[in-house]
Amino acid sequence: MVEANQSGCLFVGEGVVLKGNFAVPDIASVSGVVEGDLSAKQVIVESTGLIRGKVTAESVDIRGEVAEQLTASRSLIIRSSGKVGGSVHYAEIEIEKGGSLHGDLHLI
Amino acid sequence: MFSKKPNDSEDNSSANSQNQYPEYTPEPAAEPEQSVYEGASNRINPTKPSIISEGFEFVGTITSDGVLNISGVIKGKVTAKSVLVDSTGLVEGELFSDQVMVKGKVLGDINCDELNIGPLAEVDGSVSYDSVHIQRGGKIKGHFIKK
Repeated sequence: MVEANQSGCLFVGEGVVLKGNFAVPDIASVSGVVEGDLSAKQVIVESTGLIRGKVTAESVDIRGEVAEQLTASRSLIIRSSGKVGGSVHYAEIEIEKGGSLHGDLHLI
Repeated sequence: MFSKKPNDSEDNSSANSQNQYPEYTPEPAAEPEQSVYEGASNRINPTKPSIISEGFEFVGTITSDGVLNISGVIKGKVTAKSVLVDSTGLVEGELFSDQVMVKGKVLGDINCDELNIGPLAEVDGSVSYDSVHIQRGGKIKGHFIKK
């Protein structure tokens, strides 16, 4: 689905470290490390992915790790390998068994 | 083959007619009841659950080594091995348990090993857990701490 239309998408491969703030119009898929703020329509953090910073998106799918702050205005899914720390704002949440959440939860 | 048939059917019919009486009456009634009861009790705990029914309001401290099913209202501290807050249930206060399943409402802190939050559940308070499963739609506010 992601590969079909790549315009407006950001892919961070495994081993890549990105520093800075990023505004992505469509999908941001992170297998590497992002240090800084990331806003996108949809954020996917793969199992090797790590985002250290503020994440803002409509929907967020986490198999890796997100630290500091996370806002999902539509849906947030933390998979069994996912780890989230810091303050979390969400509209709809799902945590699979094994997923880890450490921080404050706020309903939008 | 043809010559065998009448012999077989004769044997069968005589055997059937003897078996029919005991087969007919007790089994259908007894079997499903037993399996449902065993299944429910084995899954959670061998002891019988304590039940706070719908419409029942309890104020104070509840302590149990077994299973507690809450469909009513509890205001106070709850300690049990396994707690189920049903869809009509409400707990206002602290909840200490190994296993917690929330389908209703919990306003207060939860301290448990295994936490399961249903799609219509509402939780407001500080939650400390070892393993958590939140089904989509559960409304949760507060501070989460993984032990």
